[in-house]
Amino acid sequence: MKPLAALIAVGMGLTCSAHATDWEVDLDMRLLSSDGQRSYLDGGTGALRYGENQSGLQLGRLRLALDQNIGELWSVHLDASSWGEHDKNPIDLTEAYLLFRPYPFDGLRARIKAGAFYAPISLENRGPGWESPYTLTPSALNTWVGEELRTIGLEGQIDWLGTRTGHLFDVGLTGAVYGWNEPAGVALASQGFMLEDRQTTLFGRVNPTPGLNDPREVFHEIDGRAGVYAGIEGRFLDRLVVRALRYDNRSDPTQQDGVTHIFAWLTTFNSAGARLESGNGWTGIAQWLQGETTISPHSHRLGYPFDAKFLLISKQIGRHTFSARYDRFEVLTHFVTPTGDDYAQYGHAWTLAYLFEPNAHWRFALEWLDVSTESALREAILPSEELSRERKIEASFRYALGSAVR
Amino acid sequence: MRPSARRNTRLIRGIDPEAAFPAGLPWLRYGYRAAAILLAGLLTLIRSAGVPAAVPGSVPSASVTITVHSADGRPVPGAVITVRSLAADARPSAPIKAVMDQINRAFDPDLLVIPVGSTVDFPNSDTVSHQIYSFSPAKRFTLPLYRGNPNPPVRFDQPGVVTLGCNIHDEMVGYLVVTDAQYFGRTDASGSWTADIARGKYRVAVWHPRMNDDANELERELTVAAGDRVTHELRLTKPLRPAPLSPHPHSWDGY
Repeated sequence: MKPLAALIAVGMGLTCSAHATDWEVDLDMRLLSSDGQRSYLDGGTGALRYGENQSGLQLGRLRLALDQNIGELWSVHLDASSWGEHDKNPIDLTEAYLLFRPYPFDGLRARIKAGAFYAPISLENRGPGWESPYTLTPSALNTWVGEELRTIGLEGQIDWLGTRTGHLFDVGLTGAVYGWNEPAGVALASQGFMLEDRQTTLFGRVNPTPGLNDPREVFHEIDGRAGVYAGIEGRFLDRLVVRALRYDNRSDPTQQDGVTHIFAWLTTFNSAGARLESGNGWTGIAQWLQGETTISPHSHRLGYPFDAKFLLISKQIGRHTFSARYDRFEVLTHFVTPTGDDYAQYGHAWTLAYLFEPNAHWRFALEWLDVSTESALREAILPSEELSRERKIEASFRYALGSAVR
Repeated sequence: MRPSARRNTRLIRGIDPEAAFPAGLPWLRYGYRAAAILLAGLLTLIRSAGVPAAVPGSVPSASVTITVHSADGRPVPGAVITVRSLAADARPSAPIKAVMDQINRAFDPDLLVIPVGSTVDFPNSDTVSHQIYSFSPAKRFTLPLYRGNPNPPVRFDQPGVVTLGCNIHDEMVGYLVVTDAQYFGRTDASGSWTADIARGKYRVAVWHPRMNDDANELERELTVAAGDRVTHELRLTKPLRPAPLSPHPHSWDGY
């Protein structure tokens, strides 16, 4: 009887709180043709999610999301995904956090997040599940954010809501303390920037050794030191968003994880960006990120300065969205590589995308992507492949279901 | 407007004239019918004109048209016009019961003009929960997270603009203009608003959610003489702020 009573109690609890639960299930299937190399995600050195060997039908993403309010001011957000690859777990969390949002007071509003979530860096990944409503594949810059960065800790945000008090703009300040992010930078150093839409899950892995399919968990605490970031955001009405953020994971680059053998990468960067939207469907996004990631094995300092930027122009006509983006990125080295170079990767990419959302449930997308990279790391493995041009054309069919879908 | 007018007609028709006026007084019976029809017609006219019930039928009035133009001469639709009497014994318009719904993550309508003392119901017709707040000096309040219509109506006792937001969906903005004026309304697509206004001295004010002008500087005095047809133009001196972008199709900007 006890299990039955417990089941009834749970059922009643769900019924009572059902008014404040939102859920969503998305299935995104892809049909693609790629002439790319074997992907870095697949143990190769390719900069795309799918290499030539993976052309055809693929599972883009299966996503399950749940927003549960707890009382008036607290809520829990869970986002889990399966990316159709042989990761450690067939389905895993990309985000999981508790949000505290007290009522605004005299034009000031506070938000506190605790758990695992994205730092406010990307201006294109603004959709549910941190997806972009402009393209299937995020920019090189934001691909890296999805691949290696997750705030696992505490973030506080305070906003001055000027637009609610007769002014033209709002201003917000963000600060965070986090851990489990020391390996961030290993993918940049071992592969460089990529253009792909798979987000590393909280227990997911990246490949620390280029050309060797031996992925390791990326969200690990190695040195016991907390990282920090601080950011500012300004919004002019609902037309312009400007963001800047300083990130420092404060790792001790001499430390190495005993289990994964990944070093603690000391990663610092500045990021800035702006998104401008017009009243007639035009959107322009410019983002820039510049920093350095370093390890010091056996007192040898190996520093990799990196820089990525992109410009995206998008036009929405009814339910149709047309976008074009240009990416530039580079990872340099403060030392001479085994191939005698002082860089790890240079690259640039063009992306053209068309998205059509006939209703809230369906989305059809077509994307063409052309990325050229020059990689000293690839040269070390495949000497004839230092320069690489990879292209793909990809169709996406996504169906969304749930109370959060409108 | 129309259903209530019909209700009034039914109410009047609902009285049995045979019982009210016994046999022997047929002229009175017919006179009653005529008066009832006339009264019903008058009520329908007044209500369908969209003018608040404060229109005093017995006081001579004039048809007043207020037009609002932007700094570059274009008509401004949706501007709130209030016409407040300067008479010492003037009383605000009678309170009303209004409804502001929440549909597709937007307040619907996004702006209401209500007399002081009115109450507003805030149902939520969305499938997602909303949580309303206002920190405007004219009325500070919060409505806890809800769906459907579990909350009692909110009463607005102070004149002023009340800006509403949802603590979960930042893009939701609504406005309540609480006024102690005798006449009020919003300009139509041609930027004009017309009402029958009793003779007297008034102060005309204009407000728009996207107005950059100081509303106090745009106030004008207006003298209404009986039988006039008055057109009064108000011109903004600064351009309006751009209109909000149409709501995005999905739950964007959680990041």
